[in-house]
Amino acid sequence: MAGAAPEHTSRAGPALAATYEGDDAALLAKIASLVDVIEIAPDSIAASDGVRSALRRDVLDEYQSVADDVDFVAHGVGLSIGSFDGWNDDYLRLLDGLFERFALRWHSEHLALTRVAGENVGTMFSLPRTDEAVDLVCARVDRIQRLYGVPFLLEHVIQLLPDPPGRHSPAGFINAITARTGCGLIVDAYNLECDAHNQGLDIDAFLDELDMAPVREIHLAGGVERDGFQLDVHSGVVAASTLALGEKIAARAPNLGLVTYEFLKEAVPLIGHDAICAELARVRAAFAP
Amino acid sequence: MSPLEAQQRGLLDLVKGRGAPPHDPYLKRVARSRELAMVRSIALWWRAYTLERQCPFTSKLLRREGRFDRLVADYFDANATSPFAEEVSLGFLRWLEAEEAPLTRAVARFDRALVELRMGASDDVDLTWDRNPGDVFAAIESGARPPSAEAHCLYRMRILAPGPGRIECVRESSRARG
Repeated sequence: MAGAAPEHTSRAGPALAATYEGDDAALLAKIASLVDVIEIAPDSIAASDGVRSALRRDVLDEYQSVADDVDFVAHGVGLSIGSFDGWNDDYLRLLDGLFERFALRWHSEHLALTRVAGENVGTMFSLPRTDEAVDLVCARVDRIQRLYGVPFLLEHVIQLLPDPPGRHSPAGFINAITARTGCGLIVDAYNLECDAHNQGLDIDAFLDELDMAPVREIHLAGGVERDGFQLDVHSGVVAASTLALGEKIAARAPNLGLVTYEFLKEAVPLIGHDAICAELARVRAAFAP
Repeated sequence: MSPLEAQQRGLLDLVKGRGAPPHDPYLKRVARSRELAMVRSIALWWRAYTLERQCPFTSKLLRREGRFDRLVADYFDANATSPFAEEVSLGFLRWLEAEEAPLTRAVARFDRALVELRMGASDDVDLTWDRNPGDVFAAIESGARPPSAEAHCLYRMRILAPGPGRIECVRESSRARG
């Protein structure tokens, strides 16, 4: 395993990151000059040979080409840390491959599940905010923190299905996990806006209750509204309201280290390279001290 | 079964459109919700998006026939679909080989050969068509009606590995052979 990453950040304020999922060298060259960190989603740069999945070497080589200029963080989708029957070992194998190749500043995963009884659900389920779920997630966070020598962060996800019964409030559920495990937290400003739109989440009350000390990273993204639902598809630029919320979160987060503009690879043709670069400059300016 | 297991299994069944109607009050609420329909439509949209890129000829043929979305949903519901594009595509294409229509089976088998070769398969693939595959692909690409099966002849196609890209095809008359 590679050691802790050297930090390329030299500017004041939190470092700036962007997603990059491969196969667009021109985009990588542009964003590498604008960001301090590249967010790598191991699942998104993996391919299967029909027997097992592996990280694509050509994409790893792309990252290597900018490794002198930027740091890396890993942000997973497929660990499925909340599955009742165990997490996804295949994801950890991909993560191991990434750690073997690069020194990662930290790695993170969604506080959610993508598999049930070993079957991929085709979407992401949030967890009921129960003590049973807290116990299950905490045990796995403890384990993963022992496995890797860099910080581990969890990100809350949007609650699209009706809210299940549970003892904890949305922020209280997260607090229970971060307090017990000491793990870090990603607060996604756009996810909060989705929950406010879809579920009536009171964002101010959420932030008032949330323990902000574990917050190491903020995510920013743009999405779409469809059939009355606000969807976290990471398909656009960051709305002014999302950016303002991100700034509000940053002002309360004493240990914030990174602000990440996320966009799906599939959305790059829709957004465009120039707009992505302009967005990164806009986010950088917004979070400058 | 723990409450967490029961809830997760129940949600999987609802998203996959499987199983008996739930008795659990929360799952009953989900089953009736607009949110479930949205979650399911997003899951199906991603599967369709993947398949259209990985299996272009099959997807276009099925779209022309007005069956693509229904078959994607049927496949998603009935199978454990992989998160990996290559695996979900191979699974879907293999599943289509049980289709009655010979043209669907042949086009699916062709797309499957190309996916397998992209994944590194090292063996040539032999396919048999009951109509001119060149005319089939031209029709699919232009959105025209595909040609009908030809009587008394077969087209034997060989896709050469490593590929994809090199394809040989010969027409054989069964009368000439017989």
